[in-house]
Amino acid sequence: MKAIEIEGLIKEFDGIRAVDGISLEIEYGEIFSLLGPNGAGKTTTISILATLLKPTKGKVKVNGYDVVTQAGKVRHSIGIVFQDPSLDDRLTARENLDIHGRLYHMKKDERRKRIEEVLEMVELQERADSLVKTFSGGMRRRLEIARGLMHKPRILFLDEPTLGLDPQTRRHIWNYIEKLRNEGVTVLLTTHYMEEADKLADRVAIIDKGKIVALGSPSELKDSIGGDVIKIRCSDANKMAAILSSNGFNAMIVDNEIIIKAKKAEKEIPRVFALAKDIEIKSIMYKEPSLEDVFIHYTGKAYREEAGDEMEAIKRRWRMRR
Amino acid sequence: MMGDVYAVYLRELIRLWRQKVRLVTTIVMPLLWLGVIGNAFNNAFKMPFEGDFLSFLTPGILVMTMVFTSTISGITTVFDREFGFLKEMLVAPIKRESILIGKMLGGVTQAILQGAIIIVLAIIMGVNFKGIESIPGMVLTMFLVSVAFVSFGLAVASKMTSMEGFQMVMNFLIQPMIFLSGAFYPTKMLPSWLKIGVKLNPLTYGVDAMRYFAVGINEFNVVIDLTVMIVLSIAFILLGGYLFRKS
Repeated sequence: MKAIEIEGLIKEFDGIRAVDGISLEIEYGEIFSLLGPNGAGKTTTISILATLLKPTKGKVKVNGYDVVTQAGKVRHSIGIVFQDPSLDDRLTARENLDIHGRLYHMKKDERRKRIEEVLEMVELQERADSLVKTFSGGMRRRLEIARGLMHKPRILFLDEPTLGLDPQTRRHIWNYIEKLRNEGVTVLLTTHYMEEADKLADRVAIIDKGKIVALGSPSELKDSIGGDVIKIRCSDANKMAAILSSNGFNAMIVDNEIIIKAKKAEKEIPRVFALAKDIEIKSIMYKEPSLEDVFIHYTGKAYREEAGDEMEAIKRRWRMRR
Repeated sequence: MMGDVYAVYLRELIRLWRQKVRLVTTIVMPLLWLGVIGNAFNNAFKMPFEGDFLSFLTPGILVMTMVFTSTISGITTVFDREFGFLKEMLVAPIKRESILIGKMLGGVTQAILQGAIIIVLAIIMGVNFKGIESIPGMVLTMFLVSVAFVSFGLAVASKMTSMEGFQMVMNFLIQPMIFLSGAFYPTKMLPSWLKIGVKLNPLTYGVDAMRYFAVGINEFNVVIDLTVMIVLSIAFILLGGYLFRKS
C-alpha cells in the first residue's frame, strides 16, 4: 500500500481544467513536493486529497482510503497546513491545539501530552498561553504545523508553507520539515519556490497547467537535462541560436537569452565564441543545472515566480491577520 | 457527535468570553430605549391597556435585542470563512451538522446572556414582571427567538460574500420586522393596512409571547404565539442548515 495513490485525476471548474490527468504514487515516509508556478493546480490537488473538493474524474486514495467514499477515514489520516491562515487568533496557541484535539476525538490526557510535544517541536512552549493575535507570521506558521501534527496523522499536507515569510523564518520552517522525516510522517509539500523543493524533497513532481511534466528526485531531474547549462546574451539571439543549432547544439531562447546544455561547459564555451563571428556576445555564463533549468527544459518557458500574484497572496494574508 | 458539537461550542464560548466587553456595549441601545423612550412615553400618553408603558415596552426591547444579537452572530460564520478557521473544521473528521449546531448554540448562549442582563436592568428600573413564574416562559421564548434568528443569520451568512450584504439584510429585513412587530406600541392602535403587515410578521408572535410571559399583557393566544415561533425556528434551521451545507 502507498501513502497516496492518484490515478488519472481530473478536476474541472466550469469546464476549465485545473488538474488535467495527474497520476502519482507517494510512498510512506517520503517527503514529496509538488512544484510549479501559481495556478498550476497544486492547491486544487491538495484540496482533493484533503476531501475538500471532489474529483471530476479519476481515482484518489489516501492512506489506502478512497477520498470520495471514505472521506471520514481519510480526514482521520491526514493533517493539513493551508496556504491561507486558519488559526483562531482570539484563542491562545494551547486552546487552538486543544480544540483541534477535540475535533479529532483525542482523549483529555492524550491531548494534554501531545500539546506539549508539538509545541516543543516548533519551539513555542513559552508562548503557549498567548493569544495568537500577538504572534508574528512565522510563529503562526509554526503553530499551524504543530496543529497539523497534533492528532499524529500519518500524512501531512503543507500547502505553500513558507509563502510570504522572510528568508530567515523560511529556513526555520525548513528545519521543522526536516525533523518530520525522523518522525516517519509522510509529507506532501506544494511550493513554487524551486529552492524549497530542491532542499527538502526526496522526490519532486513538476507540474504546469495541471499536468505533471517531470517526476523524480531533485538530482535525477537535474541529471536528466544533460550536464551544465550555458546562458548566452548576444546582439542577435535568433541568428546566434540558428548557428548553434546547425552546429549540433540544442539551443533554446528564453527571455532573450540563449540556453544550451553541455556535458562539460568549459570545453564548449570557446566553440561558442568561435561560432559567433560577427555577432557580439555580451555575456556568457554557465552553471550546474537547478530545478529552474529543469522546469525550462520540460516546459520550454521561463519559470516566473509571478511576483504580482505572490504580493497579492501576501497582502491577503496580511489583511486576514489584521 | 456530542463531543464534536461541544468542541465547536467550546470555541464559541471562549471567543464570547474574550469579547465580554461587547456584551456590555451592545446593551447600550436597549438601555436607551428603556431609559429614555420608555420613561418619556410612560408619562406622556395613556395606553389602552392596564399597567405602565415601560413594562409594556420591556419585552419588546428584549426581543429586539435578541433578534439583533442572534442575526449578527451569523456573521461569525462569515468571519470564519475569511479567517479560514471554517476550513480547519471542514477537514476535521466531524459532521457538518456538528459545526452548525455548535455555532448555533454559541449564538443562542450569547443572545440569552444579553437578555438576562436587560431583564436585571429592567427590574432595577422598576418594571413590574409577573414574578418567578414568568421565568420558564420567558426563557422558552428567548430560546425560540434566538434559535430562529441565529439560523436566519447562518442562512444569510452562507449566501453572503461581503459585509455590505449584511447591512442590507439588517436594514431591509430585520428593521422592518422589528418595527412591524408591536415591540414598541400596541398593535390595536394601528390603521388597518398596517395591521396586515403586523399579522403577517412572525416576530409579532414572539413579542406577544414574551409580553405575555413577562408582564401578562397579550393580544393573541399564547399557544398560537408559540406555535408560530416553533414553526419559524424549524423553518430557519432547515434553511440555514441547507444553505450552510451547500456553501
